[in-house]
Amino acid sequence: MSTVLAGGRWIRADLRARKGPAALTVLVVAGIVAALITAVTLLEDGTNPWRGLFAQTDGAHVWVHTDDSPQVALDRIDGVTRTAGPYRSAPVTVVQDGKKEPAALRAMPAAPPPVAHPVVTEGGWLDGSQPDGVVVERSFANALRLRVGAPFTVVALSGERHTLYVRGIADSAEQGFYPEWAPGLAWVLPAALDQVEPMLGRSEWVTGLRLADPEATQVVSQRVVVMLEDKVQRVYTWREVRAAMELDNRLLGTLLALFGVVGLVAAALALANAAGGRVLGQLRDLATLKSLGFTGGQVALLLIAEHGALGLLGVALGAAAGWGSTVAVLGATSVAPGPVLSIVGGTAVVVLAAVAVPAWRGARTPPIPDVPSAPPRGHLSRLARLALLVRLPPALVLGTRDAFTRRVPAFLTAFGLAVPMMMITIGLGVWATLDDFLRHPEQVGQHAGVYVRPGKLDSAEARRLAELDPGVATAYPGAEVDALAPGAARSVRVRALGGSADPYPFPVVEGRMYAQPGEAVAGQGLLDLLGLKIGDRVRLTVGGSPLIVRIVGRAVEPDQDGEVLSLGLDSLAAKDSVPPEFYALALKPGTDRAEVRARLLAESGEALDVQLAVNPADRLSVIRAVIVALIAVLALIGLANLLTASALGLRDHAFDLAVLKAMGLTPRQVMATLVTGTGLLVALGVGAGTAAGAAVATWLIDLQGQTSGVGAGIGRPPSPLTLAVAVLVAVGAALAVALIPARRAARAQVPVTSR
Amino acid sequence: MTPVVKTVNLVKIYSDGAVPVPAVRGVDLQVEPGEFVAVMGPSGSGKSTLVHMLGGLDTRTSGEIWLDGKRVDTLSESAWALLRREKIGFVFQFFNLVANMTVGDNVELPALLAGVSPKVARERRESLLAALNLTERADAAPAQLSGGEQQRVALARALANKPSLLLADEPTGNLDSRNTRDVLRLLGEVHKEGQTIVMVTHDARVAALADRLVSLFDGEIVDDGRIARRRSRTAGEVIDLR
Repeated sequence: MSTVLAGGRWIRADLRARKGPAALTVLVVAGIVAALITAVTLLEDGTNPWRGLFAQTDGAHVWVHTDDSPQVALDRIDGVTRTAGPYRSAPVTVVQDGKKEPAALRAMPAAPPPVAHPVVTEGGWLDGSQPDGVVVERSFANALRLRVGAPFTVVALSGERHTLYVRGIADSAEQGFYPEWAPGLAWVLPAALDQVEPMLGRSEWVTGLRLADPEATQVVSQRVVVMLEDKVQRVYTWREVRAAMELDNRLLGTLLALFGVVGLVAAALALANAAGGRVLGQLRDLATLKSLGFTGGQVALLLIAEHGALGLLGVALGAAAGWGSTVAVLGATSVAPGPVLSIVGGTAVVVLAAVAVPAWRGARTPPIPDVPSAPPRGHLSRLARLALLVRLPPALVLGTRDAFTRRVPAFLTAFGLAVPMMMITIGLGVWATLDDFLRHPEQVGQHAGVYVRPGKLDSAEARRLAELDPGVATAYPGAEVDALAPGAARSVRVRALGGSADPYPFPVVEGRMYAQPGEAVAGQGLLDLLGLKIGDRVRLTVGGSPLIVRIVGRAVEPDQDGEVLSLGLDSLAAKDSVPPEFYALALKPGTDRAEVRARLLAESGEALDVQLAVNPADRLSVIRAVIVALIAVLALIGLANLLTASALGLRDHAFDLAVLKAMGLTPRQVMATLVTGTGLLVALGVGAGTAAGAAVATWLIDLQGQTSGVGAGIGRPPSPLTLAVAVLVAVGAALAVALIPARRAARAQVPVTSR
Repeated sequence: MTPVVKTVNLVKIYSDGAVPVPAVRGVDLQVEPGEFVAVMGPSGSGKSTLVHMLGGLDTRTSGEIWLDGKRVDTLSESAWALLRREKIGFVFQFFNLVANMTVGDNVELPALLAGVSPKVARERRESLLAALNLTERADAAPAQLSGGEQQRVALARALANKPSLLLADEPTGNLDSRNTRDVLRLLGEVHKEGQTIVMVTHDARVAALADRLVSLFDGEIVDDGRIARRRSRTAGEVIDLR
């Protein structure tokens, strides 16, 4: 108890004497913990709405689209507990505020089914008394800015317009969110669908299967494909729906987690460095405490309590901030307490471990306060000798010598700056990659910026209009179909664009471009899904007819998790490719896409359906905000290390200052000596960190690209100019920080004192 | 009467380097309660090492140390620390005030450490600082004080727990003559109140204040004798160091 009182006094006094660095320590730890908690929340399924939606709607695990009502008993398949549907579904275009959006109009009874029943969030469910009512899936309704009671105008394939009225807005776990998952989904009564689309041949039938074991999707869907043979259009499972709902969160979470974990290591280093530097500066005070009657163990506890408390305060603040911000943005249910608690516990352990080593060192100091704790003196370092050889000014030589007198702190300082700098460089690399997406959309498969569907016009007319436009360089005819892959429990996207002889310029990063019918390029996701490699032949089924192609290359593929096969239109069967479903318009350089769209709409009298391609970078723009925040935290870590190094340097050389002055160095030269000592380590650390960051940035981004299915080949290192500016800013800021105390020390009247 | 300190054949050999360096070579010393002993000797004679061993700041190589009739040389470092809280006060050449703490906190620290309540510790500090004429400097940082003032604070701190033994290692070594006189007067006063003091110095004029002078040379006692004192009223006032 007595020691607690006395020790408390000492801790309070010490913290008061170094408010700035103490606050910095708290901030650094808080920033890292907040980043980690946000990361884990984003990575946890908790943020993924799929789980909740699936439970609420009693969702189906497998969805089967067939071109005719399935005549076989799908519910007899082993493992299938119940089925939903089959529901007839017709493709329509929704016209809203002059925009046209693709939609699937699904016939559903007025009594909601037991399995995969949409959950109404606004308004009500379909009702037989209002046959023109429609219930719209929520993300689709949001995209169209639809409210309950609003008119819902659909254009059927025949070109006929029908106006329905929104009766309700509902959640569903049947498909991902619009517009990532298109077409949008809307439910009508069967009678209403018969009116909108009387032709059964233009419809498909959708059946949902609920399984006893969610892991059995593979087996079940293969059985379905075998049983229905060529009737199957498309099969997908809950995994694709879940993946579609979580795509962006995951990427962000991975980025945050990477920065958070490396940042934690850096923060632990900075903390150990700061505590160590402080302890080194206090050895005499610690010795005095021991001479007054503190035992070694008590001194160690004192130091752990002081420095650990700062870290723990940071952990608490960071946890509160991370928790608070995720709750504010994603809702209270999104935060899983388990992982958050383990992060809090884990970082607390890391913090205590980081301060334990310097505390133990401090406790071992002998209790005789008059023994000077001088830095190891000795010969000039090799670097200093080199500096002498090339006749550098004496201040630089002395500074160079000082930089390395304490080897371990020197290493810690340089390393402590190198790690944040490396992460900053990686962050800049991510930034450069996003910029590159925007500046060179053709490198991520978006050579064409505008997509035109014929709409009411016939295909040739649409093509003529498109090619007439002054902004359009080339119009590539194209079609997209779903294909069933052997062994895979679901459909993949086949995208046919341009001819095999004059192919659409897909960004092929491995192998070669296809050059003749029967050849194709694939995204990384598809290669991984089917276990293929370049050169393999693959047999797919498109609407009953086989499609056999040889994969000759891999293209960067930002859509559909990379599970896309791209080929020439002439590789598809005529029934799928004639007439072309749409035209991809490659624009002339410098043409504004919106202008082209407006012109085409005007030319065709709103008959054409014109859509702009969505750049993946636009979806990921939130990453930029995260990068800025992370760079700020990392800069704080660097600053903490720098202050430690600077304080330690001053302490070590307080005695030398008088001697240096006595030897005839001007205050300016003394200052230069001190700044050189720190600056050299800074330059070393920043240089090494930048080099390491630049070396791994591209590789890391490509690795992330590969795991997310986009495929390697997207990563871009930061430009040399960006790097040079980053290095200059870092070193310049560091020197400025080191300059202030050095200047003060150089001007102060330093008596020849002891330590 | 039990001697406050007794050493029996005390030896300290530094063996950090290649060659062992004997600093103290068989010292037998006995200090009676209320005695003021000055230890003198040239640089390197082992006088500082001797006081450090007496206070447990340094370990002995062989021999015995008895404090208040108990053998203490066998104590662990922690046990020594606990012992110092109650029985030993230290004054160093370079004052060694805890730089971050105020003067007042520096003086209160040993009392708090000894388990005294904060209220009593504060009372003690106030009376000590008042006695040393430092009351208005209680909230100042040590760095704002002159050397003499700092040493007076250090003395107050050393006396905070009324230790049975006050060890002073060159207490005036870093002071000018005026401050030296002040500090010596204070030492004289506490001695007059019965405080046992062992003081290391290499200044004969400072040593002249003591009752007894022990001369060390090469780690051995070469002379030990009472100072024949022309004692007038108080020990402190007879010396004029101007």
